[in-house]
Amino acid sequence: ENYHISWQDSRNRSETTLNNMPGADKETDLSERIEAFLADLKRGGSGTGPLRGSGEMARETTALLRRITAQARWSSAGDLMEIIRNEGRRMTAAQPSETTVGNMVRRVLKIIREEYARSRGSSEETDQQESLHKLLTSGGLSEENFRQHFASLKANVIEAINELLTELEGTTDNIAMQALEHIHSNEVIMTIGRSRTVEAFLKDAARKRKFHVIVAECAPFCQGHEMATSLSKAGIETTVIADAAIFAVMSRVNKVIIGTQTVLANGGLRAVNGTHTLALAAKHHSTPLIVCAPMFKLSPQFPNEEEIFHKFVSPHEVLPFTEGEILSKVNVHCPVFDYVPPELITLFISNIGGNAPSYIYRLMSELYHPEDHEL
Amino acid sequence: MSSRGTKQKKGNVTNEQEEEDQPLQAVLIADSFNRRFFPISKDQPRALLPLANVAMIDYTLEFLTSTGVQETFVFCCWMSNKIKDHLLNSKWCRPTSPNVVHIITSDLYRSLGDVLRDVDAKTLVRNDFILVYGDVVSNIDVSQALQEHRHRRKVDKNISVMTMVFKESSPGHKSRCEEDDVIVAMDSKSKRVLHYQKTQGLKKLQFPMNIFQHGSDEFEIRHDLLDCHISICSPQVAELFTDNFDYQTRNDFVRGILVNEEILGNQIHLYVTNEGYGARVSNLQMYDSVSSDLVRRWVYPLTPEANFTDQRGQGCAHSRHNVYRGAGVSLGHGSQMEENVLIGRDTSIGANCHISNSIIGNYCTIGDNVVLDRAYIWNNVHISNKVKIHQSVVCDGVLVKEAVLLNKQCVLAYNVVIGPNMSLPEGTVVSMHHPEEEEDDDDDEFLSDDQVVGNSKDKTKQKAFNPAEVGSEGKGYIWKASLDEAEDEELAQCIWGLVLNPDPDSDSESEASDGSQDMGSRSVSPEMDDVKVFQLEVLGTLQRGEEENIGCDNLVLEINSLKYAYNITLKEVMQILTKVVLEYPFQQQGTKLSSSQYTVLLLPLLKKWSPVFKNYIKRAQDHLDCLSAVEELFLEQETHQTAMVKVLMNMYQLEILEEDAILKWFSAGATTDKSRQLRKNQGLQKFIQWLKEAEDESSEEGE
Repeated sequence: ENYHISWQDSRNRSETTLNNMPGADKETDLSERIEAFLADLKRGGSGTGPLRGSGEMARETTALLRRITAQARWSSAGDLMEIIRNEGRRMTAAQPSETTVGNMVRRVLKIIREEYARSRGSSEETDQQESLHKLLTSGGLSEENFRQHFASLKANVIEAINELLTELEGTTDNIAMQALEHIHSNEVIMTIGRSRTVEAFLKDAARKRKFHVIVAECAPFCQGHEMATSLSKAGIETTVIADAAIFAVMSRVNKVIIGTQTVLANGGLRAVNGTHTLALAAKHHSTPLIVCAPMFKLSPQFPNEEEIFHKFVSPHEVLPFTEGEILSKVNVHCPVFDYVPPELITLFISNIGGNAPSYIYRLMSELYHPEDHEL
Repeated sequence: MSSRGTKQKKGNVTNEQEEEDQPLQAVLIADSFNRRFFPISKDQPRALLPLANVAMIDYTLEFLTSTGVQETFVFCCWMSNKIKDHLLNSKWCRPTSPNVVHIITSDLYRSLGDVLRDVDAKTLVRNDFILVYGDVVSNIDVSQALQEHRHRRKVDKNISVMTMVFKESSPGHKSRCEEDDVIVAMDSKSKRVLHYQKTQGLKKLQFPMNIFQHGSDEFEIRHDLLDCHISICSPQVAELFTDNFDYQTRNDFVRGILVNEEILGNQIHLYVTNEGYGARVSNLQMYDSVSSDLVRRWVYPLTPEANFTDQRGQGCAHSRHNVYRGAGVSLGHGSQMEENVLIGRDTSIGANCHISNSIIGNYCTIGDNVVLDRAYIWNNVHISNKVKIHQSVVCDGVLVKEAVLLNKQCVLAYNVVIGPNMSLPEGTVVSMHHPEEEEDDDDDEFLSDDQVVGNSKDKTKQKAFNPAEVGSEGKGYIWKASLDEAEDEELAQCIWGLVLNPDPDSDSESEASDGSQDMGSRSVSPEMDDVKVFQLEVLGTLQRGEEENIGCDNLVLEINSLKYAYNITLKEVMQILTKVVLEYPFQQQGTKLSSSQYTVLLLPLLKKWSPVFKNYIKRAQDHLDCLSAVEELFLEQETHQTAMVKVLMNMYQLEILEEDAILKWFSAGATTDKSRQLRKNQGLQKFIQWLKEAEDESSEEGE
């Protein structure tokens, strides 16, 4: 029999090379991890894929970036930034709707810049933004500057990334801690869908105060149902309403508290479908709209970048596949996100405190370096 | 929310996988073993044909990888070099791939059965594995099914051999392949398959009663299932294929397992899901449906813009109304992309075009005033001005000249030139391969593909193109599927798939099967012939037995071997045997025998062959089946109904039939007017009376 087998066992191959040079193994391991992360991203962002919630996504990204810093081959800050920027580009391309990933890449780039500046013993980085002149001339020069080699840079950068990870761990708690300042006794609060941040926020307030929560179910995914179950288990008086009833019920509501997927550079939101309706109804009744959003959701993206703004998933939830014949006669769409303009938002509550939408630009410039907005 | 539910399930599975400790394996068959896609697949294997600008096999591999498969064996036969090249350059063969792909090629594979026998011979699989074809598109999370399968195998050691994944979708759904339409009877609790039958357009279907008589008390008979062609197999599946060398397809296997369930003790289970998407591109009709489902995002996250194959420049942008544009696409003034349109990289489209529900590949140029609707245009295609294309496939390198109209279901295979100024009628297939060369290289089609291509090029040069067929500047031949192919077991060999409209043909077919009703589990149409041939063979065997005075043991042996040769169920064997024996006198002496002559001839035969009967008639159900066969025969031979009593009496005395069974048959069996009439026969009633009395007496004696 003329069978002909070709074995493509890459694992075996990599194992043999590893015996010769241990460095190669590290790199294979690293790139395997990166590929696995990219594959996870492609199979759906938060909420639909193997990675849950954007908090987890942020931590995963940062941990991976830390690993890259530790294991990749680089000699100067410029090299490292180039590596991180490259991987970051691939990560954001894998799932453009998952802005958290890009945000974390920008945060790490900013860390590298700061650590480099500190190693050089200057505070140039902070000065740079103050002067319009420097902003204009910085382009070519800054890249040159990152070429200097510092032995301690790697350890410092990893240290700073660890700090960032600690900060990420605590975001939900930090936001929830502020709950008592905003929720008062016997208030009626409305929310939509399920946000882990809002859930923790409300539960924290429920430890001391009694209030009523109305949850809009957020069709077609109906995460609102889960939210309501979770809240009522925590002893909060909860009502579920259909999305269409939002306006009708709004007159009874004292406050609207929602989560979001992204806070955009203009102070607007990219949040789950139906949020715009809710925000408009709140505006009509002059009900304050509070957005619970940790800082890692702050993105330098503007709402006009249409192509990556939307995310359409399988129409299954809207009209099930089992319906049969009718599906060939209709077009069914299932978008996931809504845009909420900044003028409908009263207050942002982040892990570092409450801010008005008009202050977002300032937070943005503190978090990210302007050169990193475009990866 | 649904997705969260699956996530939790996934968590459990990983735990169990850790227990199992073995990597999950898959067998991917990158060959269809049929010529459905000829002449397109003459130049490119089906697994590499582009579906929404990505090779089909990439969807299958992505499905396997995302479901957690760590080792995949890809089996190739037809044009294996091309598949191998494709895979070696893909992301699946990069060292970072979580799914290790082994490519196994051989020219000797002719069916799924051959591949699995080879899997067994090489002992490639050590554990449960997933079996798919290279043209399956799916995003179903099969980890739940896998878990159920493993659980079943843990509880009953090695009873369940296969779990088939089906998707719920009501009849009439366009992604249901009509050829694959099945009716499945299953146990609702254990999900065990009791009966599996392709409907093939039939309106009447029969189920053997005995399948509902044991097991739990809840059954489902379902027609709302779409076969995803994904099966989770135990390692025994490969062994079973080795043991039964006549199994060629999964259908053979499923039928074989169900028929021999009592003997071998193997079971098949079903996993029905209503989430996710799964379909096999088995013909162009399905190609059309699956492509449009992909563009309409039913297979999310496997969407065109996701670029899951990670190929440079393959990415595209998604905008409203499901319009996808690759990099470097240019669109002329006044052109409209209405909805569900995918345009590949560096394709330019002229002015005032109207494009809807279409997929256009990379590097194409499309002229002005072109109308495309449900057109599937592959790479490097040039379409001139004023062309209209409706629901057609245009392969790589085709040149469509000015003012050509392609009506529905046309196929322009590789490098064809058409036009100018002509219209192709519905269903035209044009190829650079001359249809006659087909027969010539029939024999060497499984040799290396270079040679085939070389051959065909020489030949095509020899024959002139017919300008009436392909236009004055055209190049190509009208392709007609050769006739012997159409006669092949399934009529449905045509490229677009047989449209099984409820035409009078299929009606008569179903009635024919009603006529010869034997209450059997035999599924209709293709197997009909087997049953007939089997009956003739049994008759021949008995005749020889009579002439040469062969012992009953040997007769049983011969009948058993025939049974396996024709894949006949035990029940059918028994019924056919009864029928053949009872008809034997007519067969020998003609039908004009009187009843008394008939009985005189028959009774010695019955006596002689009673050991043969006893071999097959064992359980209570067998007795009833035999009786119904007797009844059926005498319903046909109305003049001989008086002989029936004698036959029954004789069979009773020879201890072929038990009195309980006869009484039960008499009291319960009547379903039609005729059979009720039959039971009013005086002789029969007396016989029954006598039986009853005998029974009473014996029971009294017992007391």
